[in-house]
Amino acid sequence: MIDFFHAYHNVIDLCLLNSVLAFGCFLLLGVNLFSLATGGLMAVGAYLSIWLTMQQGWSFAPALAAAVAAASLAAFGLGSLVLRLRGDYFTMATLAFTEVIRIIALNWDSATGGALGVFGIPKLTETWQLVLLLALVIYLVWAVRRSAIGERMRAVAADELAVSTAGHDVARFKLALFTASGAIAGLGGGLAAHLNMFVAPGDFGFLRSVDTVIAPVLGGAWNIAGPVIGATILTVLPEALRFSAQMREILIGVAMLGAVLFLPAGLVSLPTVWRRRVAS
Amino acid sequence: MLLQQLVNGLSLGAVYAVFAIGFTLVFGVMNVLNLSQGAVFMWGAYVGLEVVRKLALPLPLAILAAAGAAGLLGVLSEVLVFRPLQRRGAHRWMGMVGSLALARILIGLAQEIFGTQVVRYPDNALAGAAVELFGARLQLLQIVAIGAALAMVIALAALLRFTNLGRAIRTVAFSETVARLVGVPVDRVRLATFFVSGALAGGAGVLWSLLFQSVSPFMGDGILLKGLTVLILGGLGNVLGALVGGLLLGLVEVASVVAVGSGYRDAVGFGLVLLILLTRPTGLFATRETKRA
Repeated sequence: MIDFFHAYHNVIDLCLLNSVLAFGCFLLLGVNLFSLATGGLMAVGAYLSIWLTMQQGWSFAPALAAAVAAASLAAFGLGSLVLRLRGDYFTMATLAFTEVIRIIALNWDSATGGALGVFGIPKLTETWQLVLLLALVIYLVWAVRRSAIGERMRAVAADELAVSTAGHDVARFKLALFTASGAIAGLGGGLAAHLNMFVAPGDFGFLRSVDTVIAPVLGGAWNIAGPVIGATILTVLPEALRFSAQMREILIGVAMLGAVLFLPAGLVSLPTVWRRRVAS
Repeated sequence: MLLQQLVNGLSLGAVYAVFAIGFTLVFGVMNVLNLSQGAVFMWGAYVGLEVVRKLALPLPLAILAAAGAAGLLGVLSEVLVFRPLQRRGAHRWMGMVGSLALARILIGLAQEIFGTQVVRYPDNALAGAAVELFGARLQLLQIVAIGAALAMVIALAALLRFTNLGRAIRTVAFSETVARLVGVPVDRVRLATFFVSGALAGGAGVLWSLLFQSVSPFMGDGILLKGLTVLILGGLGNVLGALVGGLLLGLVEVASVVAVGSGYRDAVGFGLVLLILLTRPTGLFATRETKRA
Protein backbone atom coordinates (compact mmCIF):
# COMPACT_ATOMS: atom_id res chain seq x y z
CA MET A 1 0.00 0.00 0.00
CA ILE A 2 2.73 2.42 1.05
CA ASP A 3 4.89 1.30 -1.87
CA PHE A 4 1.98 1.76 -4.23
CA PHE A 5 1.45 5.27 -2.94
CA HIS A 6 5.12 6.17 -3.32
CA ALA A 7 5.30 4.81 -6.83
CA TYR A 8 2.16 6.57 -8.04
CA HIS A 9 1.69 9.56 -5.75
CA ASN A 10 2.00 12.00 -8.66
CA VAL A 11 -0.87 10.34 -10.46
CA ILE A 12 -2.90 10.08 -7.26
CA ASP A 13 -2.42 13.80 -6.58
CA LEU A 14 -3.56 14.63 -10.09
CA CYS A 15 -6.61 12.37 -9.80
CA LEU A 16 -7.62 14.14 -6.58
CA LEU A 17 -7.05 17.60 -8.04
CA ASN A 18 -8.90 16.85 -11.27
CA SER A 19 -11.79 15.38 -9.29
CA VAL A 20 -12.10 18.59 -7.28
CA LEU A 21 -12.09 20.62 -10.51
CA ALA A 22 -14.65 18.34 -12.15
CA PHE A 23 -17.13 19.16 -9.38
CA GLY A 24 -17.13 22.79 -10.52
CA CYS A 25 -18.47 21.71 -13.90
CA PHE A 26 -20.72 19.09 -12.31
CA LEU A 27 -22.61 21.82 -10.44
CA LEU A 28 -23.23 23.68 -13.67
CA LEU A 29 -24.16 20.60 -15.71
CA GLY A 30 -26.84 20.06 -13.07
CA VAL A 31 -28.63 23.14 -14.41
CA ASN A 32 -27.82 22.44 -18.07
CA LEU A 33 -24.86 24.80 -18.33
CA PHE A 34 -21.95 23.41 -20.39
CA SER A 35 -19.19 25.80 -19.39
CA LEU A 36 -15.71 26.06 -20.89
CA ALA A 37 -14.63 28.84 -18.53
CA THR A 38 -12.71 26.52 -16.18
CA GLY A 39 -9.33 27.03 -17.86
CA GLY A 40 -9.57 30.81 -17.67
CA LEU A 41 -10.78 30.83 -14.06
CA MET A 42 -8.04 28.38 -13.07
CA ALA A 43 -5.48 30.68 -14.65
CA VAL A 44 -6.75 33.61 -12.56
CA GLY A 45 -6.35 31.54 -9.38
CA ALA A 46 -3.03 30.01 -10.36
CA TYR A 47 -1.22 33.20 -11.39
CA LEU A 48 -2.52 35.17 -8.42
CA SER A 49 -1.46 32.54 -5.89
CA ILE A 50 1.97 32.17 -7.52
CA TRP A 51 2.49 35.91 -7.42
CA LEU A 52 1.43 36.13 -3.79
CA THR A 53 3.63 33.26 -2.59
CA MET A 54 6.66 33.98 -4.74
CA GLN A 55 6.73 37.78 -4.95
CA GLN A 56 4.84 38.91 -1.87
CA GLY A 57 5.99 36.25 0.58
CA TRP A 58 2.46 35.19 1.55
CA SER A 59 1.99 31.75 3.03
CA PHE A 60 -0.04 29.16 1.17
CA ALA A 61 -3.43 29.34 2.90
CA PRO A 62 -4.06 33.09 2.49
CA ALA A 63 -2.70 32.93 -1.07
CA LEU A 64 -5.18 30.17 -1.89
CA ALA A 65 -7.97 32.13 -0.24
CA ALA A 66 -7.08 35.12 -2.42
CA ALA A 67 -7.06 32.85 -5.49
CA VAL A 68 -10.53 31.60 -4.61
CA ALA A 69 -11.78 35.14 -4.05
CA ALA A 70 -10.33 36.44 -7.31
CA ALA A 71 -11.67 33.56 -9.40
CA SER A 72 -15.10 33.84 -7.75
CA LEU A 73 -15.13 37.54 -8.55
CA ALA A 74 -14.10 36.85 -12.15
CA ALA A 75 -16.82 34.19 -12.43
CA PHE A 76 -19.37 36.59 -10.96
CA GLY A 77 -18.43 39.26 -13.51
CA LEU A 78 -18.35 36.85 -16.43
CA GLY A 79 -21.53 35.14 -15.29
CA SER A 80 -23.52 38.36 -15.01
CA LEU A 81 -22.60 39.05 -18.64
CA VAL A 82 -22.91 35.65 -20.32
CA LEU A 83 -25.51 33.70 -18.34
CA ARG A 84 -28.35 35.25 -20.30
CA LEU A 85 -26.99 33.55 -23.43
CA ARG A 86 -28.71 30.32 -24.29
CA GLY A 87 -27.28 26.86 -24.93
CA ASP A 88 -24.31 26.77 -27.26
CA TYR A 89 -23.94 30.55 -27.25
CA PHE A 90 -23.21 30.35 -23.53
CA THR A 91 -20.63 27.60 -24.12
CA MET A 92 -18.93 29.63 -26.84
CA ALA A 93 -18.83 32.79 -24.72
CA THR A 94 -17.16 30.90 -21.86
CA LEU A 95 -14.67 29.48 -24.35
CA ALA A 96 -13.96 33.01 -25.58
CA PHE A 97 -13.27 34.07 -21.99
CA THR A 98 -10.81 31.21 -21.45
CA GLU A 99 -8.95 31.97 -24.66
CA VAL A 100 -8.74 35.70 -23.93
CA ILE A 101 -7.28 34.95 -20.49
CA ARG A 102 -4.82 32.47 -22.01
CA ILE A 103 -3.63 34.99 -24.56
CA ILE A 104 -3.28 37.70 -21.93
CA ALA A 105 -1.17 35.23 -19.90
CA LEU A 106 0.88 34.56 -23.02
CA ASN A 107 1.63 38.24 -23.55
CA TRP A 108 1.91 39.64 -20.03
CA ASP A 109 5.52 38.50 -19.63
CA SER A 110 6.32 40.39 -16.44
CA ALA A 111 3.56 38.67 -14.46
CA THR A 112 3.27 35.29 -16.14
CA GLY A 113 6.66 34.61 -17.72
CA GLY A 114 4.99 34.64 -21.15
CA ALA A 115 5.12 31.51 -23.25
CA LEU A 116 8.02 30.10 -21.21
CA GLY A 117 5.92 30.04 -18.08
CA VAL A 118 6.88 30.30 -14.41
CA PHE A 119 9.52 27.90 -13.06
CA GLY A 120 10.52 27.00 -9.52
CA ILE A 121 7.15 27.46 -7.88
CA PRO A 122 7.43 26.17 -4.30
CA LYS A 123 5.69 22.80 -3.89
CA LEU A 124 3.13 23.52 -1.20
CA THR A 125 0.25 21.29 -2.23
CA GLU A 126 0.21 18.09 -0.19
CA THR A 127 -1.76 14.93 -0.81
CA TRP A 128 -3.61 15.16 2.50
CA GLN A 129 -4.81 18.66 1.61
CA LEU A 130 -6.20 17.37 -1.66
CA VAL A 131 -7.91 14.44 0.05
CA LEU A 132 -9.44 16.75 2.61
CA LEU A 133 -10.58 19.25 0.00
CA LEU A 134 -12.10 16.59 -2.21
CA ALA A 135 -13.96 15.19 0.79
CA LEU A 136 -15.16 18.69 1.66
CA VAL A 137 -16.28 19.43 -1.90
CA ILE A 138 -18.09 16.09 -2.16
CA TYR A 139 -19.81 16.72 1.16
CA LEU A 140 -20.85 20.26 0.15
CA VAL A 141 -22.18 19.17 -3.23
CA TRP A 142 -24.00 16.27 -1.61
CA ALA A 143 -25.54 18.53 1.03
CA VAL A 144 -26.53 21.12 -1.58
CA ARG A 145 -28.19 18.49 -3.77
CA ARG A 146 -30.24 17.25 -0.82
CA SER A 147 -31.30 20.74 0.21
CA ALA A 148 -33.88 23.12 -1.22
CA ILE A 149 -31.16 24.45 -3.52
CA GLY A 150 -30.78 20.98 -5.03
CA GLU A 151 -34.50 20.77 -5.58
CA ARG A 152 -34.40 24.15 -7.30
CA MET A 153 -31.50 22.94 -9.46
CA ARG A 154 -33.47 19.91 -10.66
CA ALA A 155 -36.46 22.12 -11.35
CA VAL A 156 -34.36 24.57 -13.39
CA ALA A 157 -32.81 21.69 -15.33
CA ALA A 158 -36.22 20.21 -16.09
CA ASP A 159 -38.06 23.39 -17.05
CA GLU A 160 -36.39 26.74 -16.59
CA LEU A 161 -39.32 28.73 -17.90
CA ALA A 162 -41.75 27.15 -15.45
CA VAL A 163 -39.46 27.95 -12.51
CA SER A 164 -39.12 31.59 -13.50
CA THR A 165 -42.85 31.86 -14.20
CA ALA A 166 -43.42 30.61 -10.68
CA GLY A 167 -41.69 33.78 -9.51
CA HIS A 168 -38.21 32.47 -8.78
CA ASP A 169 -35.19 34.46 -9.90
CA VAL A 170 -33.49 31.85 -12.09
CA ALA A 171 -30.85 34.30 -13.29
CA ARG A 172 -29.60 35.04 -9.80
CA PHE A 173 -29.69 31.38 -8.91
CA LYS A 174 -27.54 30.45 -11.90
CA LEU A 175 -25.15 33.29 -11.14
CA ALA A 176 -24.67 31.95 -7.62
CA LEU A 177 -23.88 28.49 -8.99
CA PHE A 178 -21.51 29.92 -11.59
CA THR A 179 -19.70 31.91 -8.89
CA ALA A 180 -19.40 28.76 -6.76
CA SER A 181 -17.93 26.87 -9.71
CA GLY A 182 -15.52 29.78 -10.18
CA ALA A 183 -14.40 29.39 -6.57
CA ILE A 184 -13.65 25.71 -7.19
CA ALA A 185 -11.74 26.52 -10.38
CA GLY A 186 -9.69 29.22 -8.63
CA LEU A 187 -8.88 26.84 -5.79
CA GLY A 188 -7.92 24.16 -8.30
CA GLY A 189 -5.72 26.61 -10.19
CA GLY A 190 -3.79 27.61 -7.06
CA LEU A 191 -3.40 23.98 -5.99
CA ALA A 192 -2.31 22.91 -9.47
CA ALA A 193 0.37 25.60 -9.67
CA HIS A 194 1.86 24.62 -6.30
CA LEU A 195 1.61 20.94 -7.15
CA ASN A 196 3.31 20.94 -10.55
CA MET A 197 5.88 23.63 -9.61
CA PHE A 198 5.57 24.98 -13.14
CA VAL A 199 2.81 26.73 -15.07
CA ALA A 200 2.55 27.97 -18.64
CA PRO A 201 -0.40 29.59 -20.44
CA GLY A 202 -0.99 26.37 -22.38
CA ASP A 203 -2.02 24.64 -19.15
CA PHE A 204 -5.15 26.76 -18.98
CA GLY A 205 -6.58 26.77 -22.47
CA PHE A 206 -9.37 25.15 -24.42
CA LEU A 207 -8.12 21.61 -23.75
CA ARG A 208 -7.99 22.08 -20.00
CA SER A 209 -11.56 23.38 -20.00
CA VAL A 210 -12.70 20.53 -22.22
CA ASP A 211 -11.03 17.84 -20.11
CA THR A 212 -12.58 19.26 -16.96
CA VAL A 213 -16.10 19.33 -18.33
CA ILE A 214 -15.74 15.94 -20.02
CA ALA A 215 -14.88 14.27 -16.70
CA PRO A 216 -18.39 14.47 -15.18
CA VAL A 217 -20.06 13.81 -18.55
CA LEU A 218 -17.98 10.67 -18.99
CA GLY A 219 -18.26 9.55 -15.39
CA GLY A 220 -21.91 10.41 -15.01
CA ALA A 221 -23.34 13.92 -15.03
CA TRP A 222 -26.23 13.07 -12.72
CA ASN A 223 -24.43 10.94 -10.16
CA ILE A 224 -22.23 12.39 -7.44
CA ALA A 225 -19.59 9.70 -8.04
CA GLY A 226 -19.47 10.68 -11.73
CA PRO A 227 -16.91 13.52 -11.52
CA VAL A 228 -14.48 11.42 -9.45
CA ILE A 229 -14.75 8.38 -11.73
CA GLY A 230 -14.50 10.45 -14.90
CA ALA A 231 -11.58 12.56 -13.68
CA THR A 232 -9.73 9.48 -12.43
CA ILE A 233 -10.13 7.61 -15.72
CA LEU A 234 -9.10 10.68 -17.74
CA THR A 235 -6.00 11.11 -15.54
CA VAL A 236 -4.94 7.47 -15.25
CA LEU A 237 -5.55 6.45 -18.86
CA PRO A 238 -2.89 8.73 -20.39
CA GLU A 239 -0.39 7.64 -17.72
CA ALA A 240 -1.14 3.97 -18.24
CA LEU A 241 -0.71 4.36 -21.99
CA ARG A 242 2.54 6.28 -21.68
CA PHE A 243 4.43 3.40 -23.36
CA SER A 244 3.28 4.69 -26.73
CA ALA A 245 2.90 8.39 -27.39
CA GLN A 246 0.92 7.98 -30.60
CA MET A 247 -1.17 4.97 -29.69
CA ARG A 248 -2.06 6.85 -26.53
CA GLU A 249 -4.13 9.49 -28.30
CA ILE A 250 -5.87 6.85 -30.38
CA LEU A 251 -6.67 4.59 -27.45
CA ILE A 252 -7.93 7.44 -25.25
CA GLY A 253 -10.15 8.51 -28.12
CA VAL A 254 -11.46 4.99 -28.62
CA ALA A 255 -12.13 4.61 -24.89
CA MET A 256 -13.95 7.96 -24.74
CA LEU A 257 -15.99 7.18 -27.82
CA GLY A 258 -16.89 3.75 -26.48
CA ALA A 259 -18.07 5.25 -23.20
CA VAL A 260 -20.18 7.86 -24.98
CA LEU A 261 -21.75 5.31 -27.33
CA PHE A 262 -22.41 2.47 -24.94
CA LEU A 263 -22.81 4.16 -21.55
CA PRO A 264 -25.09 7.17 -22.16
CA ALA A 265 -25.52 7.75 -18.41
CA GLY A 266 -21.75 7.71 -17.89
CA LEU A 267 -19.34 5.19 -16.47
CA VAL A 268 -21.28 4.98 -13.19
CA SER A 269 -23.94 3.05 -15.08
CA LEU A 270 -21.45 0.35 -16.06
CA PRO A 271 -22.46 -2.12 -13.29
CA THR A 272 -26.16 -1.74 -14.13
CA VAL A 273 -25.57 -2.17 -17.85
CA TRP A 274 -23.33 -5.16 -17.16
CA ARG A 275 -25.89 -6.85 -14.90
CA ARG A 276 -28.63 -6.35 -17.44
CA ARG A 277 -26.44 -7.84 -20.14
CA VAL A 278 -25.65 -10.89 -18.00
CA ALA A 279 -29.30 -11.32 -17.06
CA SER A 280 -30.61 -11.31 -20.61
CA MET B 1 0.20 49.07 -48.28
CA LEU B 2 -3.49 49.24 -47.49
CA LEU B 3 -4.27 47.03 -50.49
CA GLN B 4 -1.60 44.61 -49.33
CA GLN B 5 -3.17 44.29 -45.88
CA LEU B 6 -6.62 44.03 -47.42
CA VAL B 7 -5.53 41.03 -49.49
CA ASN B 8 -3.74 39.50 -46.49
CA GLY B 9 -6.90 39.83 -44.43
CA LEU B 10 -9.22 38.59 -47.15
CA SER B 11 -7.12 35.51 -47.97
CA LEU B 12 -6.93 34.60 -44.29
CA GLY B 13 -10.63 35.31 -43.86
CA ALA B 14 -11.53 33.29 -46.96
CA VAL B 15 -9.98 30.17 -45.44
CA TYR B 16 -11.77 30.82 -42.14
CA ALA B 17 -15.01 31.27 -44.06
CA VAL B 18 -14.73 28.01 -46.02
CA PHE B 19 -13.98 26.09 -42.85
CA ALA B 20 -16.73 27.77 -40.85
CA ILE B 21 -19.37 27.33 -43.56
CA GLY B 22 -18.99 23.55 -43.34
CA PHE B 23 -19.16 23.83 -39.59
CA THR B 24 -22.26 26.01 -39.58
CA LEU B 25 -24.01 23.91 -42.24
CA VAL B 26 -23.99 20.85 -40.00
CA PHE B 27 -25.07 22.97 -37.07
CA GLY B 28 -27.90 24.57 -39.00
CA VAL B 29 -29.18 21.31 -40.46
CA MET B 30 -28.75 18.96 -37.55
CA ASN B 31 -28.26 21.22 -34.57
CA VAL B 32 -25.04 19.45 -33.58
CA LEU B 33 -21.64 20.95 -32.92
CA ASN B 34 -19.12 18.69 -34.68
CA LEU B 35 -15.86 19.27 -32.84
CA SER B 36 -13.93 16.80 -35.01
CA GLN B 37 -14.04 19.35 -37.84
CA GLY B 38 -10.54 20.62 -36.97
CA ALA B 39 -9.09 17.12 -37.30
CA VAL B 40 -10.88 16.67 -40.63
CA PHE B 41 -9.31 19.95 -41.82
CA MET B 42 -5.87 18.59 -40.85
CA TRP B 43 -6.47 15.33 -42.69
CA GLY B 44 -7.50 17.28 -45.79
CA ALA B 45 -4.18 19.09 -45.67
CA TYR B 46 -2.24 15.80 -45.44
CA VAL B 47 -4.19 14.09 -48.21
CA GLY B 48 -3.58 17.10 -50.47
CA LEU B 49 0.10 16.98 -49.60
CA GLU B 50 0.41 13.26 -50.35
CA VAL B 51 -1.36 13.70 -53.67
CA VAL B 52 0.97 16.52 -54.69
CA ARG B 53 4.09 14.71 -53.48
CA LYS B 54 3.54 11.09 -54.42
CA LEU B 55 1.29 11.42 -57.45
CA ALA B 56 2.59 14.80 -58.63
CA LEU B 57 -0.93 15.90 -59.51
CA PRO B 58 -1.64 19.60 -60.07
CA LEU B 59 -3.04 21.69 -57.23
CA PRO B 60 -6.71 21.87 -58.26
CA LEU B 61 -6.83 18.05 -58.37
CA ALA B 62 -5.10 17.90 -54.99
CA ILE B 63 -7.80 20.15 -53.53
CA LEU B 64 -10.48 17.92 -55.02
CA ALA B 65 -8.85 14.78 -53.62
CA ALA B 66 -8.45 16.39 -50.21
CA ALA B 67 -12.05 17.55 -50.21
CA GLY B 68 -13.26 14.08 -51.18
CA ALA B 69 -11.25 12.31 -48.51
CA ALA B 70 -12.22 14.85 -45.86
CA GLY B 71 -15.85 14.54 -46.94
CA LEU B 72 -15.66 10.81 -46.24
CA LEU B 73 -14.27 11.57 -42.78
CA GLY B 74 -17.24 13.89 -42.25
CA VAL B 75 -19.53 10.98 -43.17
CA LEU B 76 -17.62 8.83 -40.70
CA SER B 77 -18.42 11.25 -37.88
CA GLU B 78 -22.13 10.99 -38.68
CA VAL B 79 -22.14 7.19 -38.94
CA LEU B 80 -19.87 6.58 -35.96
CA VAL B 81 -20.90 9.32 -33.54
CA PHE B 82 -23.93 11.44 -34.29
CA ARG B 83 -26.35 8.92 -35.79
CA PRO B 84 -26.17 6.33 -33.00
CA LEU B 85 -26.42 9.08 -30.39
CA GLN B 86 -29.39 10.69 -32.10
CA ARG B 87 -31.16 7.32 -32.41
CA ARG B 88 -30.89 6.94 -28.68
CA GLY B 89 -31.96 10.50 -27.96
CA ALA B 90 -28.71 11.13 -26.08
CA HIS B 91 -27.99 14.52 -24.55
CA ARG B 92 -26.27 16.93 -26.93
CA TRP B 93 -23.17 17.03 -24.71
CA MET B 94 -22.61 13.42 -25.68
CA GLY B 95 -22.32 14.48 -29.31
CA MET B 96 -19.70 17.09 -28.43
CA VAL B 97 -17.73 14.65 -26.30
CA GLY B 98 -18.03 11.92 -28.93
CA SER B 99 -16.83 14.20 -31.71
CA LEU B 100 -13.90 15.32 -29.52
CA ALA B 101 -13.03 11.65 -29.01
CA LEU B 102 -13.13 11.12 -32.77
CA ALA B 103 -10.85 14.14 -33.19
CA ARG B 104 -8.34 12.58 -30.77
CA ILE B 105 -8.38 9.34 -32.76
CA LEU B 106 -7.87 11.17 -36.06
CA ILE B 107 -5.03 13.27 -34.62
CA GLY B 108 -3.39 10.17 -33.12
CA LEU B 109 -3.64 8.34 -36.45
CA ALA B 110 -2.09 11.29 -38.27
CA GLN B 111 0.83 11.32 -35.80
CA GLU B 112 1.26 7.59 -36.31
CA ILE B 113 1.19 7.78 -40.11
CA PHE B 114 2.74 11.15 -40.96
CA GLY B 115 4.91 11.81 -37.88
CA THR B 116 4.80 14.88 -35.67
CA GLN B 117 7.21 17.02 -37.71
CA VAL B 118 5.88 20.15 -39.36
CA VAL B 119 6.11 19.65 -43.12
CA ARG B 120 5.29 21.84 -46.11
CA TYR B 121 3.98 21.60 -49.63
CA PRO B 122 6.71 21.39 -52.27
CA ASP B 123 7.55 24.68 -53.91
CA ASN B 124 5.74 25.33 -57.11
CA ALA B 125 5.37 28.17 -59.57
CA LEU B 126 2.32 29.50 -57.77
CA ALA B 127 3.99 29.85 -54.40
CA GLY B 128 6.66 32.27 -55.61
CA ALA B 129 4.64 34.27 -58.09
CA ALA B 130 3.44 37.74 -57.29
CA VAL B 131 1.59 40.46 -59.09
CA GLU B 132 2.17 44.20 -58.91
CA LEU B 133 -1.01 46.17 -58.35
CA PHE B 134 -1.13 49.86 -57.47
CA GLY B 135 2.40 49.62 -56.11
CA ALA B 136 1.67 46.65 -53.85
CA ARG B 137 3.26 43.23 -54.35
CA LEU B 138 0.50 40.71 -53.92
CA GLN B 139 1.21 37.01 -53.76
CA LEU B 140 -0.62 35.24 -56.55
CA LEU B 141 -1.31 32.42 -54.11
CA GLN B 142 -3.35 34.69 -51.88
CA ILE B 143 -5.51 35.77 -54.77
CA VAL B 144 -5.94 32.15 -55.87
CA ALA B 145 -6.95 31.23 -52.31
CA ILE B 146 -9.56 33.97 -52.25
CA GLY B 147 -10.82 32.84 -55.66
CA ALA B 148 -10.94 29.19 -54.67
CA ALA B 149 -12.77 30.02 -51.45
CA LEU B 150 -15.32 32.10 -53.36
CA ALA B 151 -15.77 29.26 -55.87
CA MET B 152 -16.48 26.79 -53.06
CA VAL B 153 -18.97 29.12 -51.45
CA ILE B 154 -20.78 29.82 -54.74
CA ALA B 155 -20.91 26.09 -55.50
CA LEU B 156 -22.43 25.45 -52.08
CA ALA B 157 -24.95 28.26 -52.47
CA ALA B 158 -25.98 26.85 -55.87
CA LEU B 159 -26.23 23.36 -54.41
CA LEU B 160 -28.48 24.57 -51.60
CA ARG B 161 -30.67 26.71 -53.83
CA PHE B 162 -31.05 24.88 -57.11
CA THR B 163 -30.64 21.14 -56.60
CA ASN B 164 -32.99 18.54 -55.15
CA LEU B 165 -30.37 17.72 -52.55
CA GLY B 166 -30.21 21.38 -51.58
CA ARG B 167 -33.97 21.58 -51.21
CA ALA B 168 -33.90 18.40 -49.13
CA ILE B 169 -31.15 19.82 -46.92
CA ARG B 170 -33.13 22.98 -46.35
CA THR B 171 -36.23 20.98 -45.50
CA VAL B 172 -34.34 18.90 -42.94
CA ALA B 173 -32.88 22.11 -41.52
CA PHE B 174 -36.37 23.49 -41.13
CA SER B 175 -37.61 20.38 -39.33
CA GLU B 176 -36.64 16.73 -39.46
CA THR B 177 -40.17 15.68 -38.63
CA VAL B 178 -41.65 17.69 -41.48
CA ALA B 179 -38.96 16.35 -43.81
CA ARG B 180 -39.87 12.77 -42.93
CA LEU B 181 -43.57 13.51 -43.43
CA VAL B 182 -43.05 14.85 -46.94
CA GLY B 183 -40.87 11.86 -47.86
CA VAL B 184 -37.38 13.36 -47.74
CA PRO B 185 -34.82 10.57 -47.13
CA VAL B 186 -33.55 12.22 -43.96
CA ASP B 187 -30.74 9.76 -43.25
CA ARG B 188 -29.21 10.21 -46.69
CA VAL B 189 -29.57 13.98 -46.48
CA ARG B 190 -27.71 13.95 -43.18
CA LEU B 191 -24.91 11.91 -44.73
CA ALA B 192 -24.70 14.29 -47.67
CA THR B 193 -24.59 17.29 -45.35
CA PHE B 194 -21.74 15.77 -43.37
CA PHE B 195 -19.94 14.98 -46.62
CA VAL B 196 -20.24 18.57 -47.85
CA SER B 197 -19.19 19.90 -44.46
CA GLY B 198 -16.11 17.65 -44.32
CA ALA B 199 -15.23 18.44 -47.92
CA LEU B 200 -15.24 22.18 -47.20
CA ALA B 201 -13.00 21.58 -44.18
CA GLY B 202 -10.60 19.52 -46.33
CA GLY B 203 -10.50 22.19 -49.04
CA ALA B 204 -9.81 24.80 -46.39
CA GLY B 205 -7.00 22.57 -45.08
CA VAL B 206 -5.16 22.62 -48.41
CA LEU B 207 -5.63 26.37 -48.87
CA TRP B 208 -4.36 27.02 -45.33
CA SER B 209 -1.29 24.81 -45.80
CA LEU B 210 -0.42 26.59 -49.02
CA LEU B 211 -0.79 30.05 -47.49
CA PHE B 212 1.15 29.29 -44.32
CA GLN B 213 3.52 26.63 -45.64
CA SER B 214 3.05 24.30 -42.74
CA VAL B 215 1.22 21.03 -42.16
CA SER B 216 1.18 19.26 -38.79
CA PRO B 217 -1.10 16.87 -36.91
CA PHE B 218 -2.01 19.67 -34.51
CA MET B 219 -3.00 22.32 -37.05
CA GLY B 220 -6.70 21.60 -36.49
CA ASP B 221 -6.92 22.99 -32.96
CA GLY B 222 -6.32 26.58 -33.95
CA ILE B 223 -8.75 26.57 -36.84
CA LEU B 224 -11.40 24.88 -34.68
CA LEU B 225 -11.30 27.86 -32.34
CA LYS B 226 -11.45 30.25 -35.31
CA GLY B 227 -14.38 28.28 -36.70
CA LEU B 228 -16.25 28.60 -33.42
CA THR B 229 -15.52 32.34 -33.41
CA VAL B 230 -16.90 32.74 -36.92
CA LEU B 231 -19.88 30.59 -36.00
CA ILE B 232 -20.81 33.11 -33.31
CA LEU B 233 -19.98 36.15 -35.41
CA GLY B 234 -22.23 34.89 -38.18
CA GLY B 235 -24.95 33.43 -35.99
CA LEU B 236 -25.09 29.69 -35.37
CA GLY B 237 -26.32 27.81 -38.42
CA ASN B 238 -26.24 30.76 -40.81
CA VAL B 239 -24.24 30.01 -43.99
CA LEU B 240 -24.17 33.54 -45.33
CA GLY B 241 -23.32 34.79 -41.86
CA ALA B 242 -20.36 32.41 -41.74
CA LEU B 243 -19.05 33.80 -45.03
CA VAL B 244 -19.28 37.39 -43.85
CA GLY B 245 -18.07 36.45 -40.36
CA GLY B 246 -15.02 34.63 -41.73
CA LEU B 247 -13.95 37.49 -43.96
CA LEU B 248 -14.57 39.95 -41.13
CA LEU B 249 -12.44 37.94 -38.71
CA GLY B 250 -9.58 37.74 -41.21
CA LEU B 251 -9.67 41.48 -41.81
CA VAL B 252 -9.92 42.31 -38.10
CA GLU B 253 -6.99 40.03 -37.26
CA VAL B 254 -4.75 41.55 -39.90
CA ALA B 255 -5.77 45.05 -38.83
CA SER B 256 -5.01 44.18 -35.19
CA VAL B 257 -1.52 42.96 -36.12
CA VAL B 258 -0.87 46.31 -37.79
CA ALA B 259 -2.35 48.23 -34.87
CA VAL B 260 -1.13 46.44 -31.74
CA GLY B 261 1.34 43.76 -32.88
CA SER B 262 0.92 40.04 -33.39
CA GLY B 263 0.77 38.99 -29.71
CA TYR B 264 -2.90 39.69 -29.27
CA ARG B 265 -4.03 38.63 -32.76
CA ASP B 266 -5.82 35.53 -31.50
CA ALA B 267 -7.47 37.40 -28.64
CA VAL B 268 -9.07 39.97 -30.94
CA GLY B 269 -11.50 37.48 -32.42
CA PHE B 270 -12.60 36.20 -29.03
CA GLY B 271 -12.86 39.71 -27.66
CA LEU B 272 -15.08 40.51 -30.62
CA VAL B 273 -17.18 37.42 -29.87
CA LEU B 274 -17.69 38.46 -26.26
CA LEU B 275 -18.55 41.99 -27.34
CA ILE B 276 -21.04 40.84 -29.96
CA LEU B 277 -22.72 38.31 -27.68
CA LEU B 278 -23.18 40.95 -25.04
CA THR B 279 -24.87 43.35 -27.42
CA ARG B 280 -26.62 40.81 -29.66
CA PRO B 281 -27.15 37.57 -27.72
CA THR B 282 -27.77 35.47 -30.84
CA GLY B 283 -24.87 36.58 -33.00
CA LEU B 284 -24.35 39.29 -35.54
CA PHE B 285 -26.89 38.12 -38.10
CA ALA B 286 -30.27 36.44 -38.19
CA THR B 287 -30.86 33.87 -35.49
CA ARG B 288 -31.18 30.14 -35.98
CA GLU B 289 -34.82 30.35 -35.06
CA THR B 290 -35.65 32.77 -37.82
CA LYS B 291 -33.35 31.47 -40.52
CA ARG B 292 -31.30 28.33 -40.81
CA ALA B 293 -28.97 27.08 -43.59
